[in-house]
Amino acid sequence: VDAVLHAVADPTRRRILTLTRDGERSAGDIATRFPTISRPAVSQHLRVLTQAGLLDMRRSGNRRFYRLRAEGFAEAAGFLDAMWSARLDLLKTEAEAEAGRT
Amino acid sequence: MIDRTVHIEAPPEIVYRYFTDPARMARWLGPAQLDPRVGGTLRAALDRGPTIEGRYVELTPYERIVFTFGWRPTPGAPDLPPDSSRVEITLTPTATGTTLRLRHTGLPDDLNDRTDAGWAGFLAALAAAVATTGQPRGRPYP
Repeated sequence: VDAVLHAVADPTRRRILTLTRDGERSAGDIATRFPTISRPAVSQHLRVLTQAGLLDMRRSGNRRFYRLRAEGFAEAAGFLDAMWSARLDLLKTEAEAEAGRT
Repeated sequence: MIDRTVHIEAPPEIVYRYFTDPARMARWLGPAQLDPRVGGTLRAALDRGPTIEGRYVELTPYERIVFTFGWRPTPGAPDLPPDSSRVEITLTPTATGTTLRLRHTGLPDDLNDRTDAGWAGFLAALAAAVATTGQPRGRPYP
């Protein structure tokens, strides 16, 4: 779950997920959508998403193609599980701070 | 089915209020409107995300809270109607604080059928879930 949370915490990576949702796109095609971001930086985002299981990567010659892997979210026990995990951590922090004050 | 347990170094009397007091719920879920009695409304808006909406089903002070859970049907919200799932919180006192167990049942298990609007809401909700947490307090998320 942590890898998924880290992967989606970045707005550029969320945009990549949206871009690749409706079909496969090449790395070059994805990079052209982010003119203000360097190619190596885009590649790094793609790597983070692939390693988190949220993108499938296919090589064809020297090109790479990416496609959203929606089941990656489900395999991470779903985003609500991730949400509860993050929120309960916050609840713990807040309640412990309050207990320390009283 | 989601089943999570967290140990909190605070007594159940304090932890319980984080589910019934709007000011306290705002500190971990988001701005909340709560009517903490059986059948009463529970509503909490995740920052930059959709709004949780449900009803209290059971309130046993300092021990157990059950409420229904859905997303308020707004544009971009994930498709999970209010009342469609159920969250059960149990608080067990320990020597040093409270063991909190959260069980969330009745959830659809398929994300593949989402509409585009649902998908956008899904990403927004996920981002909101990690916006304030995921890292120890005081350090920005990397």
